[in-house]
Amino acid sequence: MTSVPLPLTMIVSHDPPGAIRNIATIAHRELRDAVSSRWFILYTLAFAVLGLAVSLVSASVTGSTGISGFGRTSAGLVNIVLLVVPLMALTAGAASIASDRERGMLSYVFAQPVSRLEVLLGKYVGLGASLLACLCLGLGACALILVWKGVATRPASIVWLAGLSFALALGMLSLGMLISTLARKASVAVGTAIFVWLTLVFVSDLALMTGAVALRLRIEELLAFSLINPLQVFKMWSLHAADASLDVLGPAGLYASEEYGQRLHLIFGSLLLTWVVFPLAAAAAVLSRRSPL
Amino acid sequence: MKPRAVHLLIVALLVLALADHGAAQTRSSEHSVPAFAPVPSDPIRLGVIGKMIAAAAEGDTIEVPAGVYREHLRIDRPVTLVAQGNAVLDGGGSGDIVEISAPRVALRGFTIRNTGIDLDKENAAVRVLAPRATIEDNTLEDVLFGIDLREAPDSVVRGNRIGGKNLDIARRGDGLRLWRSDRTLIEGNTIHDGRDAIIWYSTGVTVRHNRAHECRYGLHLMFSDDVTISHNEFSRNSVGVYLMYSARIELTQNQLTGNRGPSGYGIGLKEADQFAIRENLIAGNRAGVYIDGSPFTDKKPGEFTRNTLAYNDIGVTFLPSARGNELTDNNFIDNINQVSVAGRGALDANRFWKGERGNFWSDYTGYDQNRDGVGDFMHESQTLFDNIMDRQPALRLFLFSPAQHAIEFVGRAIPAVRPEAKFTDEVPLMAPVPIAFTAASGREGARTLLLAGSGGGLLAVGSAILALARGTQRVRGRAIDMRVNSTGGST
Repeated sequence: MTSVPLPLTMIVSHDPPGAIRNIATIAHRELRDAVSSRWFILYTLAFAVLGLAVSLVSASVTGSTGISGFGRTSAGLVNIVLLVVPLMALTAGAASIASDRERGMLSYVFAQPVSRLEVLLGKYVGLGASLLACLCLGLGACALILVWKGVATRPASIVWLAGLSFALALGMLSLGMLISTLARKASVAVGTAIFVWLTLVFVSDLALMTGAVALRLRIEELLAFSLINPLQVFKMWSLHAADASLDVLGPAGLYASEEYGQRLHLIFGSLLLTWVVFPLAAAAAVLSRRSPL
Repeated sequence: MKPRAVHLLIVALLVLALADHGAAQTRSSEHSVPAFAPVPSDPIRLGVIGKMIAAAAEGDTIEVPAGVYREHLRIDRPVTLVAQGNAVLDGGGSGDIVEISAPRVALRGFTIRNTGIDLDKENAAVRVLAPRATIEDNTLEDVLFGIDLREAPDSVVRGNRIGGKNLDIARRGDGLRLWRSDRTLIEGNTIHDGRDAIIWYSTGVTVRHNRAHECRYGLHLMFSDDVTISHNEFSRNSVGVYLMYSARIELTQNQLTGNRGPSGYGIGLKEADQFAIRENLIAGNRAGVYIDGSPFTDKKPGEFTRNTLAYNDIGVTFLPSARGNELTDNNFIDNINQVSVAGRGALDANRFWKGERGNFWSDYTGYDQNRDGVGDFMHESQTLFDNIMDRQPALRLFLFSPAQHAIEFVGRAIPAVRPEAKFTDEVPLMAPVPIAFTAASGREGARTLLLAGSGGGLLAVGSAILALARGTQRVRGRAIDMRVNSTGGST
């Protein structure tokens, strides 16, 4: 592992249209590989089947009554997004660079007249597009099932859910790519990604719950700590977008609603953006300093 | 990039944008309050109606021509005042506007607006101080108190539209208030942006077909017995109907929706007694029903039958003091907590089934092998996370997260931490009890279309990306030769 720090100017191409063309080419290549890969088909199927199951089960109960709300359908879909999307994005990101490195592909690509940042961004855009396709197909199918079953759901909420899931996916992809640049082997990268996923999905929430009771956290502290977790940000944002009030989340949610009101969109947005930008920037920094071998 | 794929993507994005826009419009029009057309150009007339009343004999009908009248009326003899066309009584932002001090006065068809904002003097649009008044088809706007009946028994308040002042809730007055006005009929009124519609010390009052929204309490009973409340719609208030210290109340076929806030309840019961709550639709409230010390005596069990409680954060919340309620044939549909006990305590003193009739629980997991419409196993409410939320409300923050399900799974799987059943329903119903009336708003068709459009749009975006991915790569300029890469293509 040699550490020859490259100045940033050497990473970024001097010819912006050329850089964009390079990124587009790599992105397209990455997208094509991704959508024909096994993980993409598997995750898309898993996501769609779980979503459809949730929609059907909830439709069997609520379809007959003609009343609607943030009921089991929306809660179930949010839950499935929380489980599947981070796993999908983290592992996809983790596998990307590390597997190229393992196969020696990275040094080959770096020998081409493209900068390392272009390679990273190209891969990011390509994988992001493949995740978007997966989300759209899954949630679109769910929406049609809900229509077929006559469940009254606000159309905007499913569009919001798709958009927010994509934002969450981009954040997790970013984190996955950081893991990928740090790991030497693809297997290590994917293992680490699954560990991170487990932490974000279960461990941190359970720890925070225990901590909140044991340390008697005030609600604003509880809220602040929970917002460190991008999954909680996504969850609160999708509730906020669907219902305009977070009081369903008890005192802490009520506090958030009363204190910040419509500024919550901005807060949640910037928090998720942080999760997109910082890991990706860190990944770029690591990639520029590390040997491709 | 394939041009066709790009076009497909653009069309899909357009569909999505339109769907979202349409939904936003549907939403905003639901909440908008129709504006009343002011008549600014008319000359303001002073003291005209006062002179007409002074000239009238007992039992006369006075027809008031259209126009704007800047008057504070005192009606001191039994007459009928009828507005011809758009007759506006404007208080000019001070004091009360109409005061009725004689019995058998009728006031019909006026627009009454612009009272003072003095809460100490309780500035009201219409104050009635005598029995048998009829206040009908008036439009009250920008008023502190709307219609204030003080010792005015046997009155009729019908078809009025009462709009409060746009003030902070603590500075508003009551849209409608009854004080010792027995046997009054309140029918077909709409109240918005007021504080409460409140009934004090009045017996035998009937409240039907009214609507109240954006108020504090849609309807508030204080020490008022034998009241019948039916076919009303209370939505987006802090509390839909609050029954306090009142007995022999019937609450039937009302619609209580979206009543939210720190103490948002569809129906609140505080030391109410001998009540029957039947066939109401209670949906989307913070708590559907809140029971505090009710029923107050043991003369009659608190009756809850054939109500539908759906999508509330909490279906029914009991304070530990609540005992002697019987809930049968109700639908509990997807409330986040179906039933909760505030703090610690058991629900032993309340019943969730009687004889052969239980309730419908959307979270019932049993089955019905003999097909008699009743589940073969009893319904036990015992989710660990529910119990945790009852005791530590702050942890509701973790609702809808996988961690919640992990906790519930642990609660089911490990007997050592399995919570005690909060209550049991021995005869849970397999299908919902039919709802007495439909809540469809007429926009369902448009919504379904938009939802279908959104779904189709999402699918189109997804397919467009797939098409883009499978499209041939156009090599331009110094694009990199990636062919070598394909030998090691990902699998």
